[in-house]
Amino acid sequence: MDLLAQVLINGVLLGGLYAVMALGLALVWGVLNIVNLAHGAFIMLGAYLAWHLYTYFGIDPFLGLPLTAIVMFCLGYAVQRGLLNLIVRAPMFNTLLITFGLEVVLTYLAQLAFSADFRTINPPYAGNSIALGPLVVPLARLMAFGVAVVLTVGMWLFLLHTKLGRAIRATAQNLVAARLYGVEPRHLYAMTFGIGIGLAGAAGCLYGTVSQINPYIGATLTAKCFAISIIGGLDNPLGVLVGGLVLGIIESLTVLYIGATFGDVASFGVLVLVLIVRPSGLLGKTA
Amino acid sequence: MTAFRVVLVVVLAVVLAVLPLFGSDVLIQFGINALLLAVLAQGWNIIGGYTGYPSFGNSVFYGLGSYGVAIAMVQWNLPFAVGMIFGVVLAVGFAFLLGIPVLRLKGHYFAIATLALAQVMSAIVSNISLAGQNIGLVLPPLNNDRLFYELSLGLLVLSTLTVFWLTRSRFGFGLIAIRENEEGAAVMGVNTTLYKVLAFALSGIFTALAGGIHAYWITFLDPESAFDISLNVKMIIMAVFGGPGTVFGPILGALVLSAVSEVLSSEATNVAGLFFGIVVVAAVVLMPRGVADVIRQFRVSGWRYFIENLKAHRI
Repeated sequence: MDLLAQVLINGVLLGGLYAVMALGLALVWGVLNIVNLAHGAFIMLGAYLAWHLYTYFGIDPFLGLPLTAIVMFCLGYAVQRGLLNLIVRAPMFNTLLITFGLEVVLTYLAQLAFSADFRTINPPYAGNSIALGPLVVPLARLMAFGVAVVLTVGMWLFLLHTKLGRAIRATAQNLVAARLYGVEPRHLYAMTFGIGIGLAGAAGCLYGTVSQINPYIGATLTAKCFAISIIGGLDNPLGVLVGGLVLGIIESLTVLYIGATFGDVASFGVLVLVLIVRPSGLLGKTA
Repeated sequence: MTAFRVVLVVVLAVVLAVLPLFGSDVLIQFGINALLLAVLAQGWNIIGGYTGYPSFGNSVFYGLGSYGVAIAMVQWNLPFAVGMIFGVVLAVGFAFLLGIPVLRLKGHYFAIATLALAQVMSAIVSNISLAGQNIGLVLPPLNNDRLFYELSLGLLVLSTLTVFWLTRSRFGFGLIAIRENEEGAAVMGVNTTLYKVLAFALSGIFTALAGGIHAYWITFLDPESAFDISLNVKMIIMAVFGGPGTVFGPILGALVLSAVSEVLSSEATNVAGLFFGIVVVAAVVLMPRGVADVIRQFRVSGWRYFIENLKAHRI
């Protein structure tokens, strides 16, 4: 019983992190209708940025998180404004291909700049944990989970209650109508993509504190983000949080009861099942 | 197609067929790789280019074809040809079993569901003892690169003839109708589910055969490399670079990109992958309908063609 509870705790903590990773992908997908295959690569870049801040300037990854997010936001804004705005109305296939090309470019640049070895961000409290009776809660993972929940809820409030958030939601619903109300689409698309990439950067900071980073983690992370966005739907950040938790718990339980090699099978199996039963996601609107 | 073009294509095929008699070993090995990639791109063209369903699950067919040959030859001591047939049976079975639910999805959702299938298959195969689990299987070696070259070329000719048949048959028109407007096609009396599953299976047959040839040529396979997603991405890039939904575009794309990456990886190893990514990005922006379209349109509009493409989809 303790084992089950411990696995559930691990799954929930992992799920929070997954949710932040997928948040940016779901936002960009929902508003721009671009599935950003380079999303995982941007998470990887964010993780390296946090690693450098910590290793060379001694900035704690949780304190460096806003800085990383801002730098990544600027990068995302520039990429959308300079490149992706050129193809945003192209057929879906071309947007998939161009973001895939971007993923290849980012991965190789990272490999050239940082070399291919594994790195971790190890702040002094990394090994600490809190004991809850027989259960153990690793401190770094708990903090990452807390930041993840704050970011998700913050994102939800931002989309609901700010002018920019309303403009983003309006554009997602109907671009023509949003334009008539004075939304400048080039700028708004770039802002949205920038926010998505900023969130990816923040997720990268958190990821670096709980896991190893190397230039090739991007593709797997993108695939997980897909799965989460599909389970949670694209309309609402809180749905993405639920999707992340579902995936984290399923993965942890599968690893415990069926075997470590089946962790990915379970998550992608759930993805296929969800798609077949409800093509717009578990929590999304029905098509 | 004019008589001139038919002659040109036949001459090209004959030149390719007699190439191994004169070419060096390196050239023949490059040829086998490039031809197999062309078959994969052509196979993807049937489901992705003509039917409009961007499959990321074709690497599953490739893996099933590879494992069909490997299991038949290693575990059951059957000849290579029987292994190829076994691989095709596996691929067609997969296409029917999972095609029916998955082909109901559209656009991004279809792409992602098929992507997930490939991941799942890789993990499942690595737990089957008949397939050698994680370690994989080692096939009996056959040092006859010319044979593999001619087999690959024959398969490419067969797949291209099939695609050519699509452009002038009721079945092919049905697939194009599904790509352009699925509801419209259904209203016109096309049995869309049947047509889509058949296209998926047809695409799977060629992909599985290419996988089988590759497995016997390399003589080794493991789940990671057999169900490699990046191979699937490669076939898509080659088909789209050349021109999806055309008869010769995917072949053109596969041969050009294979040659480019071959030259780059020997001349500039470090930046080869980087350059590949940049080529993909530039191709999508400047020539979204592929090389085949550039060849057709460039004579008419010249350099303006690229500028028009640049303007076409921006916001």
